[in-house]
Amino acid sequence: MTGNGYRTIAFYPDRCDGCNLCVEACAEHHAGSKEAVHSRIRVCGDEEGRYTGIALCRQCSMPRCAMNCPAGALSKDPETGVVCWDEEKCVGCLLCTLTCPYGGIVFNAASGRVMKCDFCGGRPACVEACTRGALELKRGADLYNAWGDLEDLVVPGISACLGCNSELLLRHTLRRIGPNVVLATPPGCIAGVGAVGVNGKTAVKTPVFHPLLTNTASMLAGARRYYNRIGRDVTMLALGGDGGTADVGFQSLSGAAERGEQMIYICVDNEGYMNTGVQRSGTTPFGAWTSTTPVGSVLRGKTREAKPLPLLMVMHNCEYVATACTAFMEDYYEKLEKAIEASKKGMAYIHVFSPCPTGWRFPPGKLIEAGRKAVQTNIVPLWEFELKTGRIRFTYPVDDPLPVQEYLSLIGKFRHLDEEQIRLIQEQTERKIQILKAFTKEGRDGDETRVEGVGS
Amino acid sequence: MGKIIVCDGNEAAAWGVALARPDMVAVYPITPQSSLAEYISQFVADGIIKADLMDVEGEHSVLSVLQGACLAGARTFTASCGQGLAFMFEPYFRTPPLRLPIVMSIVTRDGITPQCVWGGQQDAMTVREAGWIHMFCETCQEVLDTVIMAYKIAEDRGIMLPVNVNHDGNYLSYGVERVELPDHEEVDAFLGEKNINWHVALDPERPMGVDPLTGGAGGEGPALFVRYRKGLCKAMQNALEVIPAVHREWGERFGRFHAPLIEEYRIDGAEYAIVTIGSMTGAGKDAVDLAREKGERVGLIKIKTFRPFPLAALCSVLSKVKAVGVVDRSVSFGWNAGPVFQEILSALYHLEKRIPALSFIGGLAGADITVDHFMRVIETTGKALKGEVPSDTVWLNGPEENR
Ligand code: SF4
Repeated sequence: MTGNGYRTIAFYPDRCDGCNLCVEACAEHHAGSKEAVHSRIRVCGDEEGRYTGIALCRQCSMPRCAMNCPAGALSKDPETGVVCWDEEKCVGCLLCTLTCPYGGIVFNAASGRVMKCDFCGGRPACVEACTRGALELKRGADLYNAWGDLEDLVVPGISACLGCNSELLLRHTLRRIGPNVVLATPPGCIAGVGAVGVNGKTAVKTPVFHPLLTNTASMLAGARRYYNRIGRDVTMLALGGDGGTADVGFQSLSGAAERGEQMIYICVDNEGYMNTGVQRSGTTPFGAWTSTTPVGSVLRGKTREAKPLPLLMVMHNCEYVATACTAFMEDYYEKLEKAIEASKKGMAYIHVFSPCPTGWRFPPGKLIEAGRKAVQTNIVPLWEFELKTGRIRFTYPVDDPLPVQEYLSLIGKFRHLDEEQIRLIQEQTERKIQILKAFTKEGRDGDETRVEGVGS
Repeated sequence: MGKIIVCDGNEAAAWGVALARPDMVAVYPITPQSSLAEYISQFVADGIIKADLMDVEGEHSVLSVLQGACLAGARTFTASCGQGLAFMFEPYFRTPPLRLPIVMSIVTRDGITPQCVWGGQQDAMTVREAGWIHMFCETCQEVLDTVIMAYKIAEDRGIMLPVNVNHDGNYLSYGVERVELPDHEEVDAFLGEKNINWHVALDPERPMGVDPLTGGAGGEGPALFVRYRKGLCKAMQNALEVIPAVHREWGERFGRFHAPLIEEYRIDGAEYAIVTIGSMTGAGKDAVDLAREKGERVGLIKIKTFRPFPLAALCSVLSKVKAVGVVDRSVSFGWNAGPVFQEILSALYHLEKRIPALSFIGGLAGADITVDHFMRVIETTGKALKGEVPSDTVWLNGPEENR
């Protein structure tokens, strides 16, 4: 399997209607009975039994179940990539069931032991049983290959900093969206790396322009309206920095969102004005050092929290709002997919967390790790909002987050933080998750949509 | 054969827009332009203007959406003034170098502070170096006709510049007159095919980087920048030819001849002249008539086109007179005079003989410039023939007037 990556079962919630066929197939395959109790794949419901999704094993590359098993009963098979359970060794402590973020290893009431997906020797019964294509056998490399086949619309050799996340994002975004697009890159890193070009040359193969820092959404709206008028379907795409989105550009973005202008607006949030000397922006987080929120004997970085831009966009009735992080590229591609669809109706807004090695003071090689840690500490929760459901859904729920310090300690701009500041960031992080969780629930009388304020 | 209506300047402008068949209109209300925004909106609501109405959140976005639309190929219109124009300034001074043929009315208004929502030309005069073509109208009919002509001027291949059709807030915006509405089909024939984004476009079928960064200390950047600047300057000079040609064609087709760059009124045999701009001209002409009856050999020069500045046309009349009095409705800070006066001074330098020039400022903050005021202008300028030149600007509505 070398070079192809391990296989996993991918789940597409949109295609699943909770028909239970996979559950029956799994039970049948492993126990000869269709009883759900024997199935290693579960249909989940809420308290009232309404279907909410599927829980299944992802055959994680770093399986937490195996890492937590005190008896060594769980291990990843280096040949097949399947996380195997050894009945002989299992002591029945159930610790593994507590640590799996996917609910993929479960207690079997019939045997009094755990049970988990064994991949059915390579042809999982559940996948074969699903008639709706909600379960799919995939290799890690499949995704890369799928994206790799798409045209790279950005020329080689643009002038980004070493380890720049904006370049990664620019290339992947344009790959997915394709050439039938008008790209707007207001002053900021995306324009700065050369997207719009210098002295008559341009770095992308699509129409691209450099709006003002303040009017990206308005200009795109005007172009789109005219194309609609003459019956041409052209995607409008903004790749704006956080300054041009959260600060001076916010008025035009807000107006465009209010009017439901059809575009994909992507905010590349590197938490400051990075290509002009690392000044603070409206999304610079609390405590961060920047050149205008310096650290000295009196001041210790930014004194206020970041503007909650993605939530503000939710409140604007955007068709689609999501947060994303390039350390979770598959998640980003899925969100782009939805944004493209949503932008046919109205505004799709994606807020991409974009660590900046240069401005944040960390080694370029740590870029993806920084992104991953930000998500795993809940500093950057990954979620999406669809107008049609009116609810927020976590796309990578982190119910057992790492302490924020695990992320903060990676980043130079947080090096000066004292214990009190770290404690505050931990509290802010938890409070923000509580607020988001309130939006995930259905509005019901007496519902616990109450936000549990931190420190209250 | 069109029809005759009675309307104010804001409605006249809206009719001009309707007849020019724009694809997109965007407006944000501000006194004294508000009723123009309302007319435009109502006309769209009633299907009189078959354009997409962009009801945006402020003037900054008004011009921004139109820039996007224009770059996609749309014929566009908007209107603003005063603080709205100030708020629009960021996209405003970017429109000409992008060479976008957007037409916009400025319903001129004085500046704040002190708080003032009334007429004056401080707004339009303040933005005169942004690269837009500026034309100032005298009557509601001229407003309507000029709005239509503005499209033909803006979209001329040798120009491709935005045009401001300015009319005085309060006076023309709310003053009602008899106005002839031309036939839609005749206007179509006059304007011909629209000619918008052949040179610069946001179009996946013609991918290009619109407005890449230029400059840097060396290399080709500054030279490229200069090339663009010179191109814009050239377009302005071309407009000095195109504006009269368009006015001539308009006159031939519709029977209404408006002076394209400057209008000469009773200049024949005049010893001295007064210079006016905008709606004050009517009172100025009456005053000239009165003065002529008294035997004063005075004439009037109205400036219709202020940008590009009609230097040659002005020089040819100014060379015929021995003194000139210039009336401004705005001020140029640091000159202690008005901007039109300054520009006339510059023009005079091109004459062989220097003649005395006098600066008058009136009509600020919606004040009237009456025939009486103009009689004073004429009298004062007349004295200059005998060497009596005031050392300072004469303020027509100053505190001493209100004694
Ligand atoms: S049971 Fe859970 S933690 Fe264990 S390998 Fe499967 S998904 Fe990962």
